[in-house]
Amino acid sequence: MQPDARSVALGAVDLHKSYGSTKANRGISLSVMRGEIHAIVGENGAGKSTLMRMLQGVERPDSGHVVIADKQVTLSGPAEALAQSIGMVHQEFMLAPDLTLLENLVLGEEPVTRHWGPLSRIDWAKALREGRELADSIGAQIDWHRRTSSVPVHILQFVEIIRLLRRGCNVLILDEPTAVLAPPQVEELFDLLRNLRANGTTILFISHKIGEVIALADQVTVIRQGKTVFQSAIVDTTGPEIASHIVRDAPQVETQPAASPTVNGETVLELNGLTARSLEKSQSLESISLKVREGEILGIAGVSGNGQGELVECIAGLREISAGSILLQGADITAETTLARRNRGLAYVSADRRHEGLTTAASIETNVVAGSHRAPPIARSGILSRKNLRQEASKRLAALKVVFGKVTDPADSLSGGNQQKLVFARESAGDPKLMIASQPTRGVDLNGIAAIHGLLRDFRDQGGAVLLASEELDELLSLSDRVVVIFEGRLVGEVTSPAGAMAQIGQMMVQGDAA
Amino acid sequence: MSSNVASRSIGILLPLVVSLIVSGAVLLAIGKNPLDVFGLIATESFGNPRRIAATLSAATPLLFTAVATAICFRSGVFNVGVEGAFLVGGLAAIFLGFTLPATWGFALFPVCFLAAALIGAIWLYVPGILLAKFEVDEVVSTLMLNFIAVAITGYLVNGPLLSPLSGNNVTPLIHEVAYLPRLMPPSTLHAGFLIGLVCVAAYGYWCRYTPAGFEGALIGLNQRFSRAVGISVPRTIVGVMILSGVIAGIGGAAHGMGQMHRFSDGFSPGYGFTGMAVALLGRNHPIGIVLGAILFGALASAGTTIQLFSNIPLDLVNIIQGTVMIFAVVELGRISLRRKKGTANAN
Amino acid sequence: MQIEQILVSTLILTTPILLAAMGGLVNRQAGIVNIGLEAKMLSGAFVAVIVSSATQSWFIACLAAALSSAVIGWLFSLTITRARANMIVAGLGLNILVAGLLGFILSWVYKTSGTLRQPDVVLLPDVLPDAFDKIPVIGPALASLDPLTIFAWVTVFCLPFLLTNTRIGLWIRATGNAPHVTRAVGLRSLAIQDASTAFAGFFAGLAGAHLALASLGLFNEGLTAGRGFIALAAFYFGRDRPIQTAMACLLFGFLDTTQIRLQTAGFPPKLIGMTPYLMVLLALIFTSIRAQRKARL
Repeated sequence: MQPDARSVALGAVDLHKSYGSTKANRGISLSVMRGEIHAIVGENGAGKSTLMRMLQGVERPDSGHVVIADKQVTLSGPAEALAQSIGMVHQEFMLAPDLTLLENLVLGEEPVTRHWGPLSRIDWAKALREGRELADSIGAQIDWHRRTSSVPVHILQFVEIIRLLRRGCNVLILDEPTAVLAPPQVEELFDLLRNLRANGTTILFISHKIGEVIALADQVTVIRQGKTVFQSAIVDTTGPEIASHIVRDAPQVETQPAASPTVNGETVLELNGLTARSLEKSQSLESISLKVREGEILGIAGVSGNGQGELVECIAGLREISAGSILLQGADITAETTLARRNRGLAYVSADRRHEGLTTAASIETNVVAGSHRAPPIARSGILSRKNLRQEASKRLAALKVVFGKVTDPADSLSGGNQQKLVFARESAGDPKLMIASQPTRGVDLNGIAAIHGLLRDFRDQGGAVLLASEELDELLSLSDRVVVIFEGRLVGEVTSPAGAMAQIGQMMVQGDAA
Repeated sequence: MSSNVASRSIGILLPLVVSLIVSGAVLLAIGKNPLDVFGLIATESFGNPRRIAATLSAATPLLFTAVATAICFRSGVFNVGVEGAFLVGGLAAIFLGFTLPATWGFALFPVCFLAAALIGAIWLYVPGILLAKFEVDEVVSTLMLNFIAVAITGYLVNGPLLSPLSGNNVTPLIHEVAYLPRLMPPSTLHAGFLIGLVCVAAYGYWCRYTPAGFEGALIGLNQRFSRAVGISVPRTIVGVMILSGVIAGIGGAAHGMGQMHRFSDGFSPGYGFTGMAVALLGRNHPIGIVLGAILFGALASAGTTIQLFSNIPLDLVNIIQGTVMIFAVVELGRISLRRKKGTANAN
Repeated sequence: MQIEQILVSTLILTTPILLAAMGGLVNRQAGIVNIGLEAKMLSGAFVAVIVSSATQSWFIACLAAALSSAVIGWLFSLTITRARANMIVAGLGLNILVAGLLGFILSWVYKTSGTLRQPDVVLLPDVLPDAFDKIPVIGPALASLDPLTIFAWVTVFCLPFLLTNTRIGLWIRATGNAPHVTRAVGLRSLAIQDASTAFAGFFAGLAGAHLALASLGLFNEGLTAGRGFIALAAFYFGRDRPIQTAMACLLFGFLDTTQIRLQTAGFPPKLIGMTPYLMVLLALIFTSIRAQRKARL
């Protein structure tokens, strides 16, 4: 880096942080100069959130230092970070929905007319004046008297920012601020951030959208696998160069090539113009059509939050769709319940293992047979046989070599990899035709990953159809026969020979086109 | 696993220990030796067959209300409306018991019990379907329905169903052929106790050996998971509410036909709520429920005699019950009765 | 029945429900549904009778009733906020526990069951001189105004101001609405909830004092007769807003008044008595269906 006379507003020196055996950060360095907009980019799981937590003082680094205003500091928590003028805007806004914007602005630090402790009367006139002045200074239009729940999401973001400014912050950390915004709102946010920069505020901006980084930032730092791998001024680099650093030379978990490049099996799953409205901040889906055939793994690539989770839920029958149809082996299942779909041969491995894939408090045997508990051999004429249940459970667990203590232990007692194997043991029982696997290796150790990849391949090789959604691009490329890319709720491209197409797919994931 | 057993036994012991401490403190405050009093309660409630019979008789309605509560609680449905279903079920059985001709003889039993079960089921079906379809908070709806049940039954026994013979607030007596047989005369212990045990056993069987019981436990633990494996959460909710109503209604019928033989304003002195304490104390387990019901039955039956002989107010029983209820829901790092809504956790 | 009498009686019968509902709505705004109001009303009535007899002061009696119930409320709150007890079951348990304790004290200390009569219990005074009685229609109601009734209605009209314009009011609303937000901005949300439950206890204590000292001058185990739950129904129906809740209380007080009169007109009193609960049930269904429609859009 070039020698710089300016001062570091917020920085990190060789940060390391491990959670158990997972090394989340292993050498992150960062210098955010005063008055600049600095972008941090990286894939999911690259270590961005861990870095943020350390910059906020939520976590202590194992080694290395956080730097604030050119000094090495040890932060005790967000309150101290705030006292040092560092404020963070989370993806989840810290605003009470039933209060007005003004009430949220002052909550916790109310201007008062007279000091009577908690009984002090709040000086709303002063509060409004402060709010208006700050909003004016950054060029935001805010109706402070509106109820928070009725206000568009980008305005809420502005209010969060103004609240931090009001509390004296001059360094703002924004965690994927555009993830919840529509394109015109993104423009407004960027204008506002530029105004902030002009006023001397320093901004650290986390993103995985390269276009936005190029459009907004002065500096960019790329993090991959817990390390800083690239740092540059925006003027000295290009989008493709940044993209190449985000995904480049990740080690392959398994290098075995995809089995069959051309698949000619029967169509198992067919989506025609599937459309779903956005509910509570979820991504809407726009007219998605695709087919998955027998003996094929179709990968869905996409930056998280672009609709892959919603798509998978629609197919599993867990989310309402507003238009389009879903066909399973030629039968229209659009209106069918989850149970009916499962009975037709749909299996579903949830991305949220701990809350949807499993009931962690229930026993291992319960978890592995749930869903089959109404059918023989477990239940006959309305009576559930504990003996058959246990036999069936043991059979399933043994088939996938799940390592466990006793079948009556809670599922919580298993390691992450074995928990996921348990999920597969349940879902692959009963000869399903279609396996929907969403983030199947998230939070699973290396051995577990290898086993799960093996399971998916075996299922495919025996003629099953797999729809695989994963944010691990390596995984997706090494397993999939075809890959489709989802971006902002639409399919934006398909790659039929994914093995060497990392760059092309990465481009589509972050920019929505293959340009 | 061992920690599981430990936390479970703490969960059962804590409310008992705290209520013993509280009631012990109260007894000390009035200059009585708590150990003497507890000993006296024990002998008064279990000292000889006649006393045991009185205890079991007092435990009888609690078996039903506790099972009715447990069915819902273990499924994460916070039904506090068992009291109301017990009342309307009881009144339905009594009504048929004195309205239908006495010549029906033994046929009155199934008819009255079926009617009570049906009315109880309908009564709790309402909040069940409201919760399942419209997410109407079941705590408030069932609480309100309790008061509505008290009002309706109170109106009926003071108006249309008022006995022409005796003064206020009572219906006529049911036909004598419809009296449930006494098990140990002269004690009031009646066949309803056996029916109660059958209900507990059926509940235990339902929990372990039916797909519906399996599903109830799962939605109680994790609704998202349940949906994902194909269980219909709304249907399960409505199902457990109906079952709860059936058991509560049968309980009302058993209490009416075995004990009261008529319906009056004080038909239930809060059996639904004591049943809740029993279910909580017994951690929704069948054996726990039987033991809890007998414990509270013992307190109720011994309380009366204790008051007579040692001058200690009967209200001691309520002190113990209230303390048990409060401390049975205190959490010591364990999750109980807390519903996990199917919301995705932001990650 | 004369309209004057109806007004007087409605006013008096509304007061205890109103006081309890005001406390309960603040409590619920902070996120706690207080099922234990009944218990705190009962203990308030008891304390009021004892203290009034002992001190010959209605004021000290009311204060003692309010403070003792506030302490009970605060302890109750601790089991909910700190020991994370389920608030519904704990509230039902509290009702049973307090009723048991009071019955126990009644039997053991005062050697009586059910009803406690104490010598020289000072009742609540009429605030306005008797001369007001002469004013047509509202005169008798004005003349029968007692301090707690005035306090209750002053509270009704002050609460909206306090909830919107004081720091604690804002904290309470924020805590009930989004406790994680309150915590995130550095406020102690649990302590705020405890304070609101103590506040509810304070008002429930006053409600009990009014029941005991408005005209009866004695304590009875059945004195509250479910009024704590009517208050609950009122603030559910009034959706935690003071003015709307007060209107619901007035309606319930009016129903209470007319119950006896309507009975002679052929309406069954018991069925009139269930109106509050039925109204809440219907309101709940209505709002839930509407909320669901909204979410679907």
